[in-house]
Amino acid sequence: MEEKLRIGVFVCNCGTNIGGFLDVPEVAEYSKTLPGVVYVKENLFTCSESGVNEIKEGIKNNNLNRVVVAACTPLTHEPTFRAACEEAGLNPYLFEFVNIREQCSWVHKNEREEATQKAKDLVRMGVARASKLEPKDRITAGVIPSALVIGGGISGLSAALSLANRGFKVKLIEKEKKLGGLVKSLYKIYPENINAEEYINQKINEVKKNKNINVFTSTEIKNVGGYIGNYKVKAENDKGNELNFDIGVIIVATGAKTLSPEGLFSYDGKKVIDMLQLEDKLKNDGISQYKNFVMILCAGSRNNERVYCSRICCMSAIKNALLIKEKNPESKIFILYRDLQAYGTTNEETLRRAKINGIRFVNYSLNKLPEVEDNTVRVYNEILGKELLIPADLIILATPLVAPEDNENLSKKLKVTLDENGFYLEAHIKLRPLDFSTNGIYVCGTAHWPASTEESTTQALGAAARSSIHLEKKYVMVEPIVSSVYYEDECRGCGLCASLCPSNAIEMVETPKGVKAKVIEVACRGCGICGASCYRHAIRMNHFSDEQIKAQIRAFLEE
Amino acid sequence: MLDAGRHPNIKIMAYSEVEDAKGEAGNFKVKIRKKARYVNENICNACGECIEKCPKKAPDSFDMGLRDRKAIYIYFAQGIPAVATIDKDVCTFFLKGRCKLCEKICKKGAIDYEQKDEIVELDVGAVVIATGLEMFDPSHLTQYGYKRLKNIITGLEYERLINATGPTGGHLLRPSDKKLAKKVAYIQCVGSRDLNNCNYCSSVCCMYAIKDAMLAREHDSESDSYIFHTDFRNVGKWFQKYERRGKDEYGINYIRGRVAEITEDEEQNPVVWYEDTIERKVKSLKVDMVVLSTAAKPSSDAEKLSKMFGYELDENGFVRKNLPYPSDTTVPGIFACGFSQGPMDIPESVAAASAAADRVMETLAGLKLKKRA
Amino acid sequence: MSEDVLVIGGGIAGIQASLDLAEMGKKVYLVEKKPSIGGIMAQLDKTFPTNDCSI
Ligand SMILES: Cc1cc2nc3c(=O)[nH]c(=O)nc-3n(C[C@H](O)[C@H](O)[C@H](O)COP(=O)(O)OP(=O)(O)OC[C@H]3O[C@@H](n4cnc5c(N)ncnc54)[C@H](O)[C@@H]3O)c2cc1C
Ligand SMILES: Cc1cc2nc3c(=O)[nH]c(=O)nc-3n(C[C@H](O)[C@H](O)[C@H](O)COP(=O)(O)OP(=O)(O)OC[C@H]3O[C@@H](n4cnc5c(N)ncnc54)[C@H](O)[C@@H]3O)c2cc1C
Ligand code: SF4
Repeated sequence: MEEKLRIGVFVCNCGTNIGGFLDVPEVAEYSKTLPGVVYVKENLFTCSESGVNEIKEGIKNNNLNRVVVAACTPLTHEPTFRAACEEAGLNPYLFEFVNIREQCSWVHKNEREEATQKAKDLVRMGVARASKLEPKDRITAGVIPSALVIGGGISGLSAALSLANRGFKVKLIEKEKKLGGLVKSLYKIYPENINAEEYINQKINEVKKNKNINVFTSTEIKNVGGYIGNYKVKAENDKGNELNFDIGVIIVATGAKTLSPEGLFSYDGKKVIDMLQLEDKLKNDGISQYKNFVMILCAGSRNNERVYCSRICCMSAIKNALLIKEKNPESKIFILYRDLQAYGTTNEETLRRAKINGIRFVNYSLNKLPEVEDNTVRVYNEILGKELLIPADLIILATPLVAPEDNENLSKKLKVTLDENGFYLEAHIKLRPLDFSTNGIYVCGTAHWPASTEESTTQALGAAARSSIHLEKKYVMVEPIVSSVYYEDECRGCGLCASLCPSNAIEMVETPKGVKAKVIEVACRGCGICGASCYRHAIRMNHFSDEQIKAQIRAFLEE
Repeated sequence: MLDAGRHPNIKIMAYSEVEDAKGEAGNFKVKIRKKARYVNENICNACGECIEKCPKKAPDSFDMGLRDRKAIYIYFAQGIPAVATIDKDVCTFFLKGRCKLCEKICKKGAIDYEQKDEIVELDVGAVVIATGLEMFDPSHLTQYGYKRLKNIITGLEYERLINATGPTGGHLLRPSDKKLAKKVAYIQCVGSRDLNNCNYCSSVCCMYAIKDAMLAREHDSESDSYIFHTDFRNVGKWFQKYERRGKDEYGINYIRGRVAEITEDEEQNPVVWYEDTIERKVKSLKVDMVVLSTAAKPSSDAEKLSKMFGYELDENGFVRKNLPYPSDTTVPGIFACGFSQGPMDIPESVAAASAAADRVMETLAGLKLKKRA
Repeated sequence: MSEDVLVIGGGIAGIQASLDLAEMGKKVYLVEKKPSIGGIMAQLDKTFPTNDCSI
C-alpha cells in the first residue's frame, strides 16, 4: 500500500545569494500549490544550525515523508540535509536537493523575473521526483582482514611489511624463484649510494621473519574472483600445486623490466652493453680493463615508438659514472644525453658533482642519433654545433623501463586497466595515483610507471595505507545508489552489461530461468552504464530510476 | 578538500599555527595558536554581505596581489572553513576605533571584535609535516626585470590571471595596459638550478609552463607562446606526451636557450634577449608579456618548525628524508610529505601523503604493542 | 600515550594525509596557517597533465 505523500519544501535565501536575485517568498508560495506538498518553509540559511533544526521540526510536526530543499548544490550540503532527515526519523534517501543557486540565482543575476520562474520550474521538478523516491538502506559487507601483494620487489616487500607490522595477514606472491626484483641486480642505489644487495637482503629477511606474511615464490596468479573485501584468489606454483586464498584487498607491485637492447646502437653484450650489465660489472669489479666509457641515454625511449621518459636512467647513469670515477680516477666518461632529468632536491647537486669530477656531458637530438663505430662513438653535439668522435672501450646503453608482457594477462584477471604503454592505469592521475578505479585494488612502484627505489617505496607505503583503510574498518559501506536487475524476466543473459561495467560489479549467474545478470552491490558505483546499455531495459538504477527521472521531465513540461 | 571539511575524525584548525612542541613519539604536547578572526567561525556562513559593504581595501594575497579584497574577506570562495576573517591591520575599526559596519550588517551576529587569539594544547601520538612550498621572489635577479618592468609576471601570478575566478575573469590581460597578451614568453629555471639561489630543480615548472601556454591557446586561438628552457624536465606519467601535444596541437615554440636579459620597448613590450644554443647566436624576441617560471622554495616556517620539533632539514631547507624510509624525518614519530620534502607535483604529493599516513599507523601500532608487552 | 595525530599544513598533501588517517580511524588535527585549507593547488586553474580543474 502506497502511503499518502506528505512532502515538505524548504526554500533557502542563502543570505542574499539566492534571495537577492530571485523572489524566494514567491517560490515558497508557489511550492504550496504543488501536488503532495503539505508544508513549506523559507529559510535564511537552510544549512545553518537553525535551518537544519527547522527541517527536523518540520518533519516531526508535520509527519513529512519526503523532504525537498531548494538551495545550493548537493556537493556542499547534501550530507548535512540527509543527516537531518535521518535524525528526524526519515529515511535519508527520501530527500531531494534542488539547486537554485549555482544553476539559477548566480547565473541569472540580472533577470529577476526569469530566475524566479526558473526556480519554480526546478522546485516543481524536484517535488515530482521526490514523490517517486523510495526508502533505501546503505549497503554494507564485511572485509576479510588479509591482503594479497603481487610482486616481491622493493615495492611489494615494503607494502607487505608495513601491513604485517600493523597486524594484518599478508600473502606475498612472487613469480620468480627469488624475492627482490630489479634492485637485486643493482650495485648501489642513488641518491645515497647504499649497497643494493645488502639493502634488499635485509628487507627480504624482515619479510621472511614476519609471522604475518606468507611468501609464495615461483607462484603465479591463476584466477581472481569476488570483489572488494571478499576476493577468491587461485594461484599455482611451479610444482603444479594449486593455492586458494580468501583476501580482502589486493596490491599490485609487479614492477617493470628494462627494454632489451637488442638491435640498438650495435648492441653486442660485450663492447656495447646495457646499464644492468654495467651494474653487474661494477658489482664484480669488472671495469678495471676499460678506460674510455660512453653512456648513451634515452636508448629506445622518448622516440615515436616509446614516447615516454623512463625517469630513472639519467640519475642511474650519473651514479654509475661517478662510481667508475671513484674506482678508476683515470677513466674518461662521456654521457650522451637529450635532457638531463636531475629533478628533485638532491639530484642537481649530484649532476654538478659529476661535472666537477670531469664527467663530460654531450647533448644530442632525436634527429641525429649517435652512431657506434669501432672503438668510437660519433655524435653530433647540438650545443657545439660540431660532430665529435669519442673514443670508447665500453659503450653503455640506458634503455628504459618497460611494462612486463604478462601485465596484459594479470590485468585481465584482476579486471583493471593498463595504459597505452602497458603500465597499470590508476583511478585518477592526480588525486588517486595509487588506487584503481575498481575499489579494493591498489598499485605501486614501477608497475605503475618508472620510479626510483625511493619513489617506489613511498608508493608502496601509500598503497598499504590506502588498502588498509578497508582492513581497519572491517566493512565496506556504499550508498544504495546502485544498479539492480529490477525486471529480471526481461534479462536475456546476453552479458553486455557485465562486459561494459567498469567496476566489475555485474556477474552472470545461472538461475532456474536461465542465465541472468546479477549486481554485486558493494562493487557497483552507480555510474549507470549498464542501465543505459541494456536493450531489454531490465536494469534500473536505484535512486535514479526511469520513473523518477521521467516524473521530473514531465513536471518540467507541464508548467 | 570538502571531504576533509566534513570528516567526523578531522578537526580543521585554520588560521592557526604551532607555537610550541615537546615530547616524543606517542606523546607529543603541542601548543597551537588559533589566531583571532574577529568572526565567530561557528556562526558565520560566508554569505558575503559584510564584505560587500566593507569600505576598506587591501591587496588580495590569494590573487597574488593582482586585485584588492576588503578588510573583512573570505580567503577564497570555495575555501574551508567557509568563513570570513577580519584583517586587523587594515580594518578601519581596529585602526581608528570606529566603523563596525560589518557588525551592523551581519544578521547572524557573527562579528566579534573582542575575539582573542586562543592557545589550544593538544596531546598527539604522531605528527605529519606538510607545509609545502612558497614562491621564490625573483626581484633581485635584475636581468629578468621583475617588478622593474610592468609586463613581467611569475608562474603563480599567471595561474590567477588565467583563472575564471581570478582578477581578470580568466582573461590574459597584461598589467601595463590591460590589453590581451597574445604573444607570451616563458622563462624557465628562474632561481632554480642556481648555486646562488635554489640549488635544485623545482621539478614542476617545465610542466606548468607547457600547461600555461596550452591554456592561453584554449582561451585565445591566436595566442603565441615561447618556452625558453635548457633541460626540459618532463618525467612523470604521460608528461612526454603532454610535451608533444603542446608542440603539435597547441603550436607552442620550445626554444633551447638561456635568457640573458629582458628589456622593454617604448610600448612596454618586453624584449627577451637570449642565446639560441642550437644556432649559437644571440637573438631577441619582442613579446606582449613574460612569465617567469620562478623556483618553488620550502615554506618560510620550515626552519622554525624543524627547530621546534628537532628534526633536520636538508641542504636546500626541505625536511630531510630518513632514507631508506622516505616518509620519515630524523625524529621518530614525526613524518613528512608533499613539497615540504622537496619538489614534487600533485600525484607525488598525494602518494607521499598516503605513505606518511601509513608510517603513522605503523608507528602507533608498534608503540601500542610495546606498551602492552 | 595518545593515538591522535597532528598534521601541519593544509595543502593537498596535508589534506590527503588527514583523510587517510581519519579513514583509518585516527582523530586528526589539521592545522593550517592561512584562513582556509587548500594550499597552492587551490590557486591553480587547471592542472597538468590532464588539464582538469584542481579542486
Ligand atoms: C639499470 C638500473 C639502475 C637503477 N638504479 C637505481 C638507483 O640507483 N636508485 C634507485 O632508486 N633506483 C634505481 N633503479 C630503479 C629500481 O630498480 C626500481 O625503482 C625498483 O626496482 C622498483 O621496484 P618494484 O618493486 O616496483 O619493481 P621490481 O623491482 O621490478 O619488482 C617487481 C617484482 O614483481 C615480480 N612480478 C612481476 N610480475 C609478476 C606476476 N605476474 N606475479 C608475481 N610476481 C610478479 C617480479 O618478478 C619482481 O620480483 C634502477 C633501475 C635500473 C634498470
Ligand atoms: C605555479 C605552479 C603551478 C603548478 N601547477 C601544477 C600542476 O598543474 N599540476 C601538478 O601536479 N602540480 C602543480 N604544481 C605543484 C603543486 O602545486 C604542488 O605539488 C602541491 O601544491 C604540493 O602540495 P603540498 O600540500 O605539499 O604543499 P602546498 O600546496 O604548498 O600546501 C602547504 C600548506 O601548508 C600551509 N603551511 C605552511 N606553513 C605552515 C605552518 N607553519 N603552519 C600551518 N600551515 C602551514 C600553507 O599555507 C599551505 O596551505 C604547481 C606549482 C606551482 C608553484
Ligand atoms: S622543472 Fe624545468 S624550469 Fe623548473 S627548475 Fe627544473 S628544469 Fe628548471
